[in-house]
Amino acid sequence: MDADAFFASCEQAIHPELRGKPVITGKERGIVAAASYEAKARGVKRGMGYFDVKKVCPEAIIVPSDYETYSLFSVRMFEILRRFSPDLEEYSIDEAFVDLTGLRRSFHCSYGELASQIQETVEKELGITVSIGVSLSKVLAKIGSKHDKPHGLTIIPGKEIHLYLDKLPVEKLWGIGPNTSAFLNKLGIRTALELAGKDEEFIQRHLSKPFQEIWCELNGMSVYPVVTESKSSYQSISKTKTFTPPSTDESFVFAQLSKNLENACIKARRHNLAAKRLILFLRKKDFRDIGIELKLNRPTAYPSELFEAAREGFRQIYQQGIPYRLTGVVLSGLMPESRVQFTLFDDTTKIEKMAKVYDSIDKLSSRFGKHTVQHASSLPTKLQVQHEGKRQDIPERKTALFSGENRRQRLGLPMLYIKV
Amino acid sequence: MFLSLPLDSKRSFTYNGNMKQELREEKLKSRIQEISHFYYQKGRMPSFSEIGELIGLKSKNAVSKLVIRLEELKVLARDEKGRLTPGSIKFPVRILGTVEAGFPSPAEEELADTRSLDEMLIQNHEATFMLKVSGDSMSGAGILPGDMVIVNKGQTPRSGDIVIAEVDGEWTMKYLRKRGDKITLMPANPKYKPIKPKNELKISGVVTAVVRKYK
Repeated sequence: MDADAFFASCEQAIHPELRGKPVITGKERGIVAAASYEAKARGVKRGMGYFDVKKVCPEAIIVPSDYETYSLFSVRMFEILRRFSPDLEEYSIDEAFVDLTGLRRSFHCSYGELASQIQETVEKELGITVSIGVSLSKVLAKIGSKHDKPHGLTIIPGKEIHLYLDKLPVEKLWGIGPNTSAFLNKLGIRTALELAGKDEEFIQRHLSKPFQEIWCELNGMSVYPVVTESKSSYQSISKTKTFTPPSTDESFVFAQLSKNLENACIKARRHNLAAKRLILFLRKKDFRDIGIELKLNRPTAYPSELFEAAREGFRQIYQQGIPYRLTGVVLSGLMPESRVQFTLFDDTTKIEKMAKVYDSIDKLSSRFGKHTVQHASSLPTKLQVQHEGKRQDIPERKTALFSGENRRQRLGLPMLYIKV
Repeated sequence: MFLSLPLDSKRSFTYNGNMKQELREEKLKSRIQEISHFYYQKGRMPSFSEIGELIGLKSKNAVSKLVIRLEELKVLARDEKGRLTPGSIKFPVRILGTVEAGFPSPAEEELADTRSLDEMLIQNHEATFMLKVSGDSMSGAGILPGDMVIVNKGQTPRSGDIVIAEVDGEWTMKYLRKRGDKITLMPANPKYKPIKPKNELKISGVVTAVVRKYK
C-alpha cells in the first residue's frame, strides 16, 4: 500500500476547503516537499523552488509542513491495516506491506476485495486516498501500487505478471539503482520483463545475490518476507534542518548543527545505540553541500563527548562570509550501547557521571517536552527563529492551541480546520 | 521479614517499611509478568539461564532464589527432574498484588475495570479528529464557540446525531434530521434557519463529544 501524495493529502483531509486544489507543502523550506495530484498535473515537481512553481501553477496553495499531523495520520493508517492483518511491515511514513495470505476465508472475500475494503476504510476514516498493489511478492506488489496512482487498485496474478513488466524500465524497479541499471542495459536488458525472462543460470552468472532475489520476486517467487517488527535497529541516524533566511553568523550556524547533534543523540539513546562515526554537513545558499566524516574515540550517544570533535570538524568545513541554509548530522556505525567497552584510557567515572546526567535529561524531556534542558551551544537557535518572519510559515497546529496544550506538547489527535 | 510477623503487629510497621515492601512487591510482580509473558509467547517455561536473561540477573544462584520464592507463591512448580512447570501463571488471571501479604488489595481489584477519560470519549481512535468550534449555531445543544468537539469520521450518521457536513460547498455543524428520504440540518439556536440541501450534502463525521476546559 502506498498513500497518494501523502503530505498534501493530509493537508487536504484536515483543511477540506483545499480538496481538489493544487496544494504544496513545505512553505518553510522554500522548496516543494510534496505536491497534491492537482498540482502535479500542472507540472509541479518535488524539490522545485517557489519561483518556478508560480510560473507553472500560479494558483498553487503553499502551506507549511505539519509533520506532527502527518505522523498521526501515518500511525493511524498502519493501525487500520492491522485490523485486516497483523503481518504488517511499516516500510516508510506512507508505505506498508501487508501479508494477506490465508485471509480470504476469514473475510469471506477475494484478495482484491480485501484490498478494496482496506482502501475504503482508510478513505472513510482518514479522508485520504491510497493505492494498493496485490501480488505474489513484495517487488510485484510495489509495482502494482505504483501502476495506477492515485486511488489505484492493481492486482497482478501470476499469469499476468508479464503485462505489467513489459513497459517497465529496469531502473524503475525497487532495489535497482542507476549503476545496476546501466550494467543491465549493457547486457541488453532494458525492461523488467527482459530481466524476469532470463534463465536462472544467466542471472546467477552475471548478477549478485540481491539482484538474484529481485529476479525471483519478479517471477512471482516471494523471497523477501514481510518484516513485522517495528524498526528498532538503525544503520544510521540523521537529523537535518533548514533555516531561512540563510545565515552567515558562525555561532548561529554552529548552534543549528549542535541542535541537530542533540536531536540525533536523543534518538540514538532512545534506541540504546551508540555511534562510532559522526558526519557533519552544511548546505550553502546555492544548494552546494560540504561535509566531513569524523571517527570517534569511543562509541557514544552523548553530545558532550561529541562536541569537541564536532567543533573541530565544523572549523574545517565552515567558511566565513558564505551564507548557509541547512545543517545536518549523521550518526553512523551504530552499535548497541550495551556492547560498548571502555578502553584503557577512558575516564570511567566521568563517563558514568555523564550517563547519569543524560539519563536525567531524557527523563526531564519526557516529562516537560524535548529540549527542556539543552546545551548552551544550541542556544543561539532560540535567539533567531528557524524560519524568519511570516506567521503563516508555522503550521496552524502549533499556533492555534487548545487550553492545556503548549508549544511542545499537544493532543495526540489530528485537528479538523473547519469553520462551523 | 514482615511476613512472619503476627497480624496484630501490623500497626507497628514504619512508613519506610511499607514503602520498601511495596517496592519489593512491584519488582516481584514485574518479574512474574516477564516469566508469564515468555510462557505465553513460547508456549514453554524458560530455563534458569533464560530467566536470568529475561529479568537481568547474572548469577544462577540469584535465579534459583527467585524460583524458590515463586514456588512458595505457587506461581510455578518443578517437576521430578527439576525442570520448571507453570503454576498459577498457566491460567490467564490478572495478578492482583502478590499473595505474600496474604490479602490482595481490594482497591486494585475494583480499579481493574475502570476506563480512562480518553477511552470514554474516543470510540474508534483511528477515525477520531478534534475540531474547534467557531460559530454559535449549536449553542442550544450546549456547544459554544471555542469548544472542542470530538468528531468520528468512521461512524454512520443517524437521524438525531450532530454532524459536521458540507452543504452546497459550505461547512456546517447541525443536528441531522431524516424524515423518509428528506434530510434537514437543524440548528440549535433560533437565530439560524434549518438547512435543506439543494444539490449536495456530504457528511464528514459525527460529533460524539464536546470538551470545554475552563482552566
